[in-house]
Amino acid sequence: MKLEFLSFDYDKFAQEMQNLKDKKGFDYLVTIVGEDFGAEEGLGCVYILENSNTHERCSVKMIARTKECGDGMSSNGTGEMDGQMIPYLPTVSKIWRVADLLEREVFDFYGIVFIGHPDMRRLFLRSDFKGYPFRKDWQFNDKYTLDDDVEPDYGLEFYFDKDGYLQTKQNKLFDSDEYVINIGPQHPATHGVLRLQTVLDGETVKRIYPHLGYIHRAIEKMWEGMTYPQTLALTDRLNYLGAMQHRHALVGVIEEAMEVELTDRIKYIRTIMDELQRLDSHLLYTSCVAQDLGALTGMLYGMRDREHVLNVMEETTGGRLIQNYYRIGGLQDDIDPNFVKNCKELIKYLRPMIQEYMDIFGDNIITHNRLVNCGPMNLEDCINYAVTGPAGRASGWKNDVRKNHPYDMYDKVQWEQCTLDGCDSMARYMVHINEMYQSLNIIEQLIDNIPEGDFYVKQKPIIKVPEGQWYYSVEGVAGEFGVYLDSRGDKSPYRMKMRPMGLSLVGAFDPMLRGQKVADLIATCAAIDVVIPDIDR
Amino acid sequence: MEDNKSYFGEIGQGLKTLAIGMKTSWKEYFKDFFTNKSTEQYPENRKTTLHVAKRHRGRLVFKRNEDGSYKCTACTLCEKACPNGTIKITAHMAEDPETGKKKKVLDDYAYDLGDCMFCQLCTNACNFDAIEFTNDFENAVFDRSKLVLHLNQEVYAGGSLPNLLEGGAEWQVGKFNTKTK
Amino acid sequence: MFDFSIVTQWFDALLRETLGLGDFLSILIECVLVGTAILVGYALIACVLIFMERKVCAYFQCRLGPMRVGYWGLLQVFADVLKMLIKEIFIVDKADKILYLVAPILVIMGSVGAFSFLPWNNGATILDFNVGVFLLTAISSIGVIGIFLAGWGSNNKYSVLSAMRAAVQMISYEVSLCLCLITAVILTGTMQMSGIVEAQTGPFKWLIFQGHIPAIIAFFVFLIAGNAEANRGPFDMAEAESELTAGHHTEYSGMGFGFFYLAEFLNLFIIAGIAATVFLGGWAPVNIGIDAFDAVMNYIPGIVWFMGKTFFLVWILMWIKWTFPRLRIDQILKLEWKYLMPMCLINLVLMTVVVALGLYIK
Repeated sequence: MKLEFLSFDYDKFAQEMQNLKDKKGFDYLVTIVGEDFGAEEGLGCVYILENSNTHERCSVKMIARTKECGDGMSSNGTGEMDGQMIPYLPTVSKIWRVADLLEREVFDFYGIVFIGHPDMRRLFLRSDFKGYPFRKDWQFNDKYTLDDDVEPDYGLEFYFDKDGYLQTKQNKLFDSDEYVINIGPQHPATHGVLRLQTVLDGETVKRIYPHLGYIHRAIEKMWEGMTYPQTLALTDRLNYLGAMQHRHALVGVIEEAMEVELTDRIKYIRTIMDELQRLDSHLLYTSCVAQDLGALTGMLYGMRDREHVLNVMEETTGGRLIQNYYRIGGLQDDIDPNFVKNCKELIKYLRPMIQEYMDIFGDNIITHNRLVNCGPMNLEDCINYAVTGPAGRASGWKNDVRKNHPYDMYDKVQWEQCTLDGCDSMARYMVHINEMYQSLNIIEQLIDNIPEGDFYVKQKPIIKVPEGQWYYSVEGVAGEFGVYLDSRGDKSPYRMKMRPMGLSLVGAFDPMLRGQKVADLIATCAAIDVVIPDIDR
Repeated sequence: MEDNKSYFGEIGQGLKTLAIGMKTSWKEYFKDFFTNKSTEQYPENRKTTLHVAKRHRGRLVFKRNEDGSYKCTACTLCEKACPNGTIKITAHMAEDPETGKKKKVLDDYAYDLGDCMFCQLCTNACNFDAIEFTNDFENAVFDRSKLVLHLNQEVYAGGSLPNLLEGGAEWQVGKFNTKTK
Repeated sequence: MFDFSIVTQWFDALLRETLGLGDFLSILIECVLVGTAILVGYALIACVLIFMERKVCAYFQCRLGPMRVGYWGLLQVFADVLKMLIKEIFIVDKADKILYLVAPILVIMGSVGAFSFLPWNNGATILDFNVGVFLLTAISSIGVIGIFLAGWGSNNKYSVLSAMRAAVQMISYEVSLCLCLITAVILTGTMQMSGIVEAQTGPFKWLIFQGHIPAIIAFFVFLIAGNAEANRGPFDMAEAESELTAGHHTEYSGMGFGFFYLAEFLNLFIIAGIAATVFLGGWAPVNIGIDAFDAVMNYIPGIVWFMGKTFFLVWILMWIKWTFPRLRIDQILKLEWKYLMPMCLINLVLMTVVVALGLYIK
């Protein structure tokens, strides 16, 4: 989607954003893109919004203002940032709760402060990191420290005092007598290096602070120095179970910007591959839920069958985790001669197996007791916290990008969007199970009809994208995965930003889990399907 | 859920689901007791029942003509395409004795396997069909410097395993070959 | 039926009369020998169990399990034990040193203590008091103190959570466990281990036949509660590796951890052993009242019967563990206090009625 920015007066910004949500129904904040627009415009943000009923999207661009922090004299706040020139914008985290983490990300990378946000800590980088690395004038500095990172035990809030000075105040994160336990970053149940700083009262969770960035690679910054074909190589390293979809979103945005016409064959194969990847991911998901609840046998049945999905994909793509299959203008290679036969056998094999996972794990009374009412979140909150994907659909939110913004063959095949209204982890698990059947249906419809044609539309040796901004999203394995592209006509992007699937899911942990048990935290963490490299990028 | 079921109804229902679970694992335990396994015994099976997809990216090699000569012209397109700086090409200009034209001659094609992320951008960039990935995957060495391969100097004679480049043993969806022979 | 007491009496006579040793020396030698036998048996059975667990779990999961060390992986366990023995035992700096060191010893003590009560054969019951069952439950519950101390002493937040869980869970399930044993005792009329087995010899005299409905209920409840007592899945709350990393033994290395590991497996064996003794007749063979058949059965030594029954139950418990997901702590307690314990109490009354009215199979 080519973006046409709305722009608002700075003073009316907060009000206009509220209006967008209340009056125009843009209740789903897709993402906030921090951007350094260059020396003339300065720093700012792009907000991408969606109406969850009509699925209409709009985008708002807002340039940050700059002001010196403090009043120049002894401060009546904490005086922590006094004397620095600070770009600032009003917060929207009270309108869309998902903005809580998104704004912290922008602050982390661009140093834009959000007035009224209660917790302006760094999100991904160490708290002793100097500077804001995504600014265009930031100089890479190879000096780093191996000292302990002393984390602040307070969140910084910026506000204007009555004299109009920009001031800071500290909001305590913990009470002194609270029992704080770190779930992660090295923990078997967080599926990677996620750290959830959890305040406990006995076994009961009182508050969760996510700490991210343990596998942050600044892929978006790296992209700015890469040619377009080179950028592709990094997408498979996000959610390693959604390699196809991630690359799909990236080639999608570039192809849309370059107006590349794809052949039907490419579209068919991409759709099939996306669905195979979804099967792969969902199989691992259902296995991991079983594992995190202690049912190792249920897990291994899923892993065993996932092997066959991977084998089918590997014959064509040459990869099991790093698929490396889509490229700008088509595919890396044509499908394997046995691909059609293998896919059919796979469908035949897999259908009865899904029932087996239900028999050994999904239908089990213990599983039901563990997952029902575990990590509940209702529809309204799901939209507010932008819990997309199967987790959102489990609360009845029809958010499937494949239906709402169809791409490739998804509007030409018969399939159903799986929604449930359980609003809990059991419903999330069931949505995944149902989606596996739907994926099999989609593949079944397409596999016999792959049309002849080219698998690759020849592109120029040096790919340049015309000027403009685009946003393109696909239904990733655990939510909406989108890529925002700002091109200035070069052979490398000016700014590219992903909408990771997991970031908003992590932001939803705290409201979901307050008052639940530690064991529920693990169960929810598993059932909501977070994969850390995707969150951290 | 708990409220609208009787105390005993709940127990009955629960026991039933537990029994189904037990039945399922029982079935998997005793069904084809000796063959219903998914473990593949690498490395015992490496020369026998191992299957490696033909398109698997194990390492980069030079494609050779029948006389053993290679097609690389040292144009450095692959070097430029590589996001990691994995490929280092050194070449010099030399006069072709037959035509008398000046031409680049490849001295060294250094490929650092340890840095490669197998993105295939180099093979995509190559206009001369000079390089390709093979599924030769047993590349572990004890010294990192041994990972720097000089593709023009080595004579690549198939993988470390017989029949590997053709994919090894047959495979089938839904079946595992757990045997070593 | 071969009576092992012939051997023990012969040996006693050998010491006292042939060698002419006094009371003190002969008892000392006997104690040392028996103690060594217990420990060796304990270690060997642990090895067998660990290997069995790996293979059984692998086969449930469509895997092969260990295949490398020795033929079919037979030496894997010995390799592991060797590894564990030569690993450094470190002591956590901020741990409560005494509790930290005492904990694994307490755990293993409770386990070995309970182990010594098992009746291996006719006349081969090592500790055979008249209050055997009673003492057994008392000694086996020392283990919970060890686990609690380990969790508390390690000064690790995960471990503390785990210790709390373990304590509350094990103390709760002890109730059902004892009630089930008492149910059995009502029928046998004795708490002595050898007496309990004695009462089950003869055609269809195994307790689950003899006591029919109440005994069968007690048997199943005993298995469930015993599983919970041994901290095994689906009740492995205290360990819960996906939640609390390794629970109470997170901070232990080498044999410190080894003791917990051993005790866990042996507790499984002990639970299965007691269940086999009390409900399946221990070393008592299958007798159906037909002389020829019974004679053949009686010819099979008691220890084979005992081991066979015990390992069968161990297999059942493994089957359960490798099928079900883990419960949550409040659900475990709910299961105990809302379902198992009331059932046990009713069952106790039922059994009393059965015995009082003589409705059991005589």
